[in-house]
Amino acid sequence: MSLEKEQKVVDLIKVSFEDAEAEIQRERRVKVKVAPNRVFPLVAYLKGNGFKHFVAISAVDWIRDGEIELVYHLWNYDEKVHVMIKTRVPRDGGSMPTLKPLFNQAETYERDIHEFFGVHFEGNEKLDREFILEDWDGPPPMRKDFDTRLFSAEFYDQEDLESEALRLKIQPYKGHLKK
Amino acid sequence: MTKAKPPKGLKGWAQGRSLWMLHFCTGCGAIEMPPTMTSRYDMERFGITPMATPRQADLLLITGYLTVKTLKRVIRSYEQMPEPKYVVGFGSCTVNGGMYWDSYNTIKRLDLYLPIDLYIAGCMPRPEAIIDGFTELIEGIKKGKFDGWIRYKENLEYYKRNQAMVMDIRKWSLDAELAERIWNEVQEERRKRFERATVKHVYELAERIPEGLPK
Repeated sequence: MSLEKEQKVVDLIKVSFEDAEAEIQRERRVKVKVAPNRVFPLVAYLKGNGFKHFVAISAVDWIRDGEIELVYHLWNYDEKVHVMIKTRVPRDGGSMPTLKPLFNQAETYERDIHEFFGVHFEGNEKLDREFILEDWDGPPPMRKDFDTRLFSAEFYDQEDLESEALRLKIQPYKGHLKK
Repeated sequence: MTKAKPPKGLKGWAQGRSLWMLHFCTGCGAIEMPPTMTSRYDMERFGITPMATPRQADLLLITGYLTVKTLKRVIRSYEQMPEPKYVVGFGSCTVNGGMYWDSYNTIKRLDLYLPIDLYIAGCMPRPEAIIDGFTELIEGIKKGKFDGWIRYKENLEYYKRNQAMVMDIRKWSLDAELAERIWNEVQEERRKRFERATVKHVYELAERIPEGLPK
């Protein structure tokens, strides 16, 4: 197994971005860690060097560190190399510049992450519009400190309403019918 | 000239043998419907045929979990259907939440929000179980035992209050005035539940998360 093409990508990044920690994770996969303000130039640089496919943005909540990690995935069709760019923003009041000028589809992923992790993306005009959650005024539900089980128990069990149904004699089902 | 009365039981017989089904395929249960509808199990021999719109349907089949977002659409669809109308909950997700029992955005018991006439249990029910459920439904309709839409009308406030607990009913109810009033009434309770579910708990949960997570 040779890692020549992966090494080429690492070298390519290191030539222009000395502060980036680029390493080969395994065959066809390169991991880069950069500061938040260096993501935009790095993605622009990679786009000009064959990484034409912007796959996705994902997010990880590191609650102990007080940070949210954003992972930008890029794919090169010619070399068949996947680059993931990792960066961390603070959990409270974290902000990133939008990547919409480079890739249009970034706008959608940013709206998704804004809704579920509460990261602000500067320059994304559709950020305040509802995306998946409707009428949601709670904390971002994919954060680690949001207890989905407790929320579900509070809102969807509704034992008091079930007893109200018994009082009103509302039967959900009239039992098995005799044929 | 005297008006001829229809024979007793004709109405139920006619209604039971001609059901137009709006299949609201939300979850994985939708995959059990094609074999049930088509040549293998052939639902049409019972007189049940799929219908595309709620205004021409009289059987609402909900095949799987319902997120709050979907529930709004289901209620809107149900309220548009002409009477008599029947609701069949399909799969364990509509009974008690199924595998989505701890999700923050799926409801657990559908009969809190809509008057269920019949449940078909299973995860997922096989086409045989669906056919069995439909046979029950037809028999029940013939005997006039299913009265979901009457229960819904009689206890409208109860159902609307339950719905308002989980969703903003104002945009999704045909009776706008009632929805507005009940929505305002439940705000206090909603706020309390919300506080219990989120604000206080954040600190406790942070304590429970183990140290030494991998970097």
